[in-house]
Amino acid sequence: MTDQQTTERARPEPIKAVPVRHPGRWVAIVVLAVLTAMFLHMLLTNEGFRWSFIFVSYEEGKRGVMFTEPVLEGLRGTLLLTVFSMLIGVVLGVVVAIMRLSPNKILSSVAWLYTWFFRAAPRLVLAVVFGNLNVLWSRVGFGLPFDKQIGALFGIDNFNGQIWSIESKDLLAGFVAAMLALGLSEAAYMAEIVRAGIQSIDEGQPEAAVALGMSRGQVLRRIVLPQAMRVIVPPTGNEVIAMLKDTSVVAFVPVTAELFFQLRAVSARTFVVLPVLIAALIWYLILCSILMVGQYFLERHFGKGYGAAGRARMRLQTIQAEQGGVGAGGAGLGGTT
Amino acid sequence: MTEIPVMVRADNVHKSFGSLEVLKGVDLTVASGEVACVLGPSGSGKSTFLRCINHLEKINAGRIEVDGDLVGYRERGGKLHEMGERDVARQRQSIGMVFQRFNLFPHMTVLQNVMEAPCRVKRENKAEVRDRSRALLERVGLSDKVDNYPGQLSGGQQQRVAIARALAMRPKLMLFDEPTSALDPELVGEVLDVMKDLAREGMTMIVVTHEIGFAREVADNVVFMDGGVVVEQGPPNEIIANPQQERTKAFLSKVL
Repeated sequence: MTDQQTTERARPEPIKAVPVRHPGRWVAIVVLAVLTAMFLHMLLTNEGFRWSFIFVSYEEGKRGVMFTEPVLEGLRGTLLLTVFSMLIGVVLGVVVAIMRLSPNKILSSVAWLYTWFFRAAPRLVLAVVFGNLNVLWSRVGFGLPFDKQIGALFGIDNFNGQIWSIESKDLLAGFVAAMLALGLSEAAYMAEIVRAGIQSIDEGQPEAAVALGMSRGQVLRRIVLPQAMRVIVPPTGNEVIAMLKDTSVVAFVPVTAELFFQLRAVSARTFVVLPVLIAALIWYLILCSILMVGQYFLERHFGKGYGAAGRARMRLQTIQAEQGGVGAGGAGLGGTT
Repeated sequence: MTEIPVMVRADNVHKSFGSLEVLKGVDLTVASGEVACVLGPSGSGKSTFLRCINHLEKINAGRIEVDGDLVGYRERGGKLHEMGERDVARQRQSIGMVFQRFNLFPHMTVLQNVMEAPCRVKRENKAEVRDRSRALLERVGLSDKVDNYPGQLSGGQQQRVAIARALAMRPKLMLFDEPTSALDPELVGEVLDVMKDLAREGMTMIVVTHEIGFAREVADNVVFMDGGVVVEQGPPNEIIANPQQERTKAFLSKVL
């Protein structure tokens, strides 16, 4: 009946209406365009920026300050420091997060204490402290605890229970100190991110896995963490970007093989300040842009099965199902209803 | 009668959450190959009882045996020893469970969902598991969905995958926790059909359900629970058609 009606009735004209005007938008565009032009004008005409100093040549017979050897060396140092600190941060962060969620009160309190301390300590202070830790011990090593005291108890003088040790000057010099300071600090933040990720997983997930006979380790590795990654990756991307920029604080440890340190060294030598800082800014902008592209692809990978694209597909599927798509799947069973 | 081996024997099972006692002495015996349907109002403890059978919940008193083995504990010298995580996991391998909200793993395809436990837990040959999983998915009518993600399936399809996933471990007992309660009404039938097939093939099943029709058709034993105890039980034509207890009558009059 309805079919007949629809075939008999002609389809009405598509609606042609005068769209709503947005004068405010046009005003905003004009204002922004003027501001942009002013900004470009300043960048291009102000001699103080000394663009040729940054890009072309900063001294007779030398390349622009962005591309000189020591600065590129510093760039490499900055990247390495970012990678290693993040590695420590992520691995240790996962461990601390799992400890934090443990039913064992002692483990979870230790994890809480760890995050409390390293989140409270500013990175700059932490980095400098780590750079000066060799004041406390001349040697750092592993060994039996209380070896001297136990030795004295049995009447042995100078009993040495050290298994392995190293001069702390060597261990905690520049790069390693900086890496530890940044990595340990990062672990505290990563622990919170991972914890949020794990807690975002529906309780039914580990339950279903356990009901299938999976062990706690398997549940974590195969079911919980892969799903938590979807929640963990975006803020971790932010952390990587923040870390890349925070490596600049280790110039004060001091770490010499680091971008900001090297650029400041150039400005100390040439007495040119602002263009050098602009050069540093440009490098950080470039690196962060690259990282953001990487983050996009990572997020897409862990969004498998859901995510924006997945949800769109699902919605389409539902619509198809409502129009009889699923009926074919259900019919495979032979006679529903 | 006595020759049929017993699959599940629950004896005076008590379970409390804090000060709230949910199970107040549940007794139930399910013979091998039998289908027991547990009915009862919400809050009667039927889901909790089901979860105790595979030790998802620890019981406070009484005992539960599955296929002759005490669940979650070991008896040695007249004393109970708590089982380690590994032994509990081993017991669960032979008990399949299907949940109200499916609980499929959303980051894996349908086939991966079914293959996960046999491959990872039992460490069976992957190719063989794949063949078996495909066969199982075909049996539940989903051979065209093997490479889809659970999020792309309807509720009924997801629940059928969940049943296939449980069956892939070759369980000797299947527990169903309100398997159709989260489904749209028109999708209930396809899940119940799969369960009927399973019952016909002789699987031992305990089904917590609100589907009175299913219980009447499929159950060998209908168990009515209320207030943390079994109020009455027996063949469906006795319990559903002619209940003796007031509480059973009151409940059935509301749902029928």
